[in-house]
Amino acid sequence: MIVQVVGCSHHETAIALRERLAFSPEKAAEALDHWRRVFPGVEAVLLSTCNRVELYAATERDAAPDRRQVAGFLGRFQRLDPAEIVETLYQFHHGEAIRHLFTVASSLDSMVVGEPQILAQVKQAYELATEHDNTGPITHAAFQAALKCARRVASETAIHQRRVSIPSVAVADFARQIFERFDDKHTVVLGAGEMAEETIRYLQDEGAHQITVVNRNLDRATDVAERWGGRAVPWELLPEALATSDLIVSTTGAGETIVTAEQFERVERTRHGRPLFILDLAVPRDFDSEIGRRPDVYLYSVDDLRVACEENRRQRDRELPAAMKIIEQETTRFMADLHHRATGPIIRQLRAGWEQPKQEELERLLRRLPDLDDASQEEVRRSFDRLVNKLLHPPLRSLRDESTEGIPTRLMDALRRLFQLRE
Amino acid sequence: MLSGVQIVCFAASYTVVFALELSRLLFRSGVRGAVMLGFAAAGLLAHTAFLYHQAVLTPRSPLSSERDWYLIAAWLLAVVYLYLAWYYPRQSFGAFLLPLVLALIGAGVLLARNEPFPREPASRVWGMIHGGALLLSTVAVLIGFAAGVMYLWQAARLKRKQLPRPGLRLPSLEWLARANRRSLIVAVLALGVGVAAGVVLGTLRHSGGGAPLPWYDPVVLATLLMLVWLLLAVVLTARGDVSRRGRAVAYLTVVSFVFLAIALGSMLLLDTQHGGREDAPGNRPSGMVDNEFALKPTGITPLDSTEHAVHDPGRSAGEGRA
Repeated sequence: MIVQVVGCSHHETAIALRERLAFSPEKAAEALDHWRRVFPGVEAVLLSTCNRVELYAATERDAAPDRRQVAGFLGRFQRLDPAEIVETLYQFHHGEAIRHLFTVASSLDSMVVGEPQILAQVKQAYELATEHDNTGPITHAAFQAALKCARRVASETAIHQRRVSIPSVAVADFARQIFERFDDKHTVVLGAGEMAEETIRYLQDEGAHQITVVNRNLDRATDVAERWGGRAVPWELLPEALATSDLIVSTTGAGETIVTAEQFERVERTRHGRPLFILDLAVPRDFDSEIGRRPDVYLYSVDDLRVACEENRRQRDRELPAAMKIIEQETTRFMADLHHRATGPIIRQLRAGWEQPKQEELERLLRRLPDLDDASQEEVRRSFDRLVNKLLHPPLRSLRDESTEGIPTRLMDALRRLFQLRE
Repeated sequence: MLSGVQIVCFAASYTVVFALELSRLLFRSGVRGAVMLGFAAAGLLAHTAFLYHQAVLTPRSPLSSERDWYLIAAWLLAVVYLYLAWYYPRQSFGAFLLPLVLALIGAGVLLARNEPFPREPASRVWGMIHGGALLLSTVAVLIGFAAGVMYLWQAARLKRKQLPRPGLRLPSLEWLARANRRSLIVAVLALGVGVAAGVVLGTLRHSGGGAPLPWYDPVVLATLLMLVWLLLAVVLTARGDVSRRGRAVAYLTVVSFVFLAIALGSMLLLDTQHGGREDAPGNRPSGMVDNEFALKPTGITPLDSTEHAVHDPGRSAGEGRA
């Protein structure tokens, strides 16, 4: 029995190669169909995200495609020279492969540890492989255990709640604590920095869709607004935009404060006390810090968010050992179950070997006691069943115990010889 | 079997849930949420059984005494808690609501009278409306108070730019502000109905030969004061600029709680004739403020006693519940 993973990730492989190796869902489906033809009887799940391309393979046989064969398969499929990629691919076997899968699914191997998307991506990869008939008993068990492990890590540790990028902290840890919903909120973006766009992405994930971009350069504002489905307004209309805003994301490159306390006070009169979340990501800051003292105004600068990110990072690091412990527990449990599966034929033969004499003795006894009523006969049958189960319990228990260390080959050999079982 | 349910059963369940809620501040657990829900549901079940036994299986109706009134208020608040805990399992509602539930139970057991309110047949419906509306108003003010405290806590944290404390997650300010506004509206409507029903009740009693309406009674005065305050608060929140200022509404609900505390404190601690009390705390009959946690047969059928038959002519004429 073999379980293995061959692939590459953001840890060792440059993004240029990862991009060339990456599979769209359609292409992954084609690859899986092709895999089934090239390697019949070998279960496979192809996980392709922007940070990794991994092929999980498993078979009940004693041989599976090695790293070179997988490199050849991926290379031919993606029109890459296998020699170019084979050295960048890692390969893990058995427990290492399972531990890796559980770590990936739990988002502990992600570029941003704790990011939630990876679990959905693992699930989609598994479902795609199942749809295309590439999964089997081992991959079913492995991926279901991986999803369970990831859920345990999410519920028993706070890793997933600890965001470490400034836009994600701004939206998840602060904006969402102010607003219950974002679909009825007006977001005003000042400037058009990269961080502003990333923040818009997070806000749109939360449902925000009323976006106004204000920039000194109207063309630039229009460009950004079109990208995010918002509208652009000229710089002169900034006070009007501020008056109707609920969230402001400011990332201008201005060398001085663009909204002073006095200017804001004038705008505030028209806001009628509506709460306002201001994310001032510009350096130097675009908003006078005095504005943050106004009631129902929540003003955050890059430094404020950086402190929060650091705190999150520290707390997340403290949670890592607990998460790794869960992964170790789940890996050990899964591998024990997997090794125990290998003892299935022996257990079946053992049961069959005891079942036959039991049945013969039972029939002989019932023939000698013809006066027994149905209830008594049933009681005798149950008694024989209990006896066989009790006699079988010690060897079965030993097989399970030995399975925690690996496939119990020696014990299986001993049982075969002891009970004259066939290979 | 229901007679075996004691106040201590559900009080202990709520205490366990509260302790589990506080333990969120100390450590994480994958099963705590389910355990909390289990204990809260068990507590509510026991609470319901206790009240049901009081109301149906014994010759008393709901809201028949001060103690009943407090225990039903606690029950309503516990229902609200269980609903919120079920739909928002990550939020720490229990840290704010459960102390109020336990305080109501404690006040009901330790301070409130377990003797029935005097009841004349003609005023029975009005008495029920009066008690029920005041009960609803009290629960609304308590919910508003909890939401107001949560709002101020959350707003202070956000102003200090601090991350949510592990184990103490609160709803968004928008959610809390909405809860505050709604609780104020429910509270003022219910209190208005309750006071109006109280006036009708007093008038009926007076026309039937009873004492006139005790307008200067401390409980009546405190309740009227609370009604005036709640009306003022609702008028203020109806103004757009105040309504949008969640912090202002939160302060209004917290002050409303102070008025409620004064009204309930007057009822429990001052010399009042409201609700049929004719005795000051110092000269209550022994057993009126008792610590009985068990539902004892002698404690649940006071209407049958001679003393209460004198206070309740309707019952002595055989018009009580079967």
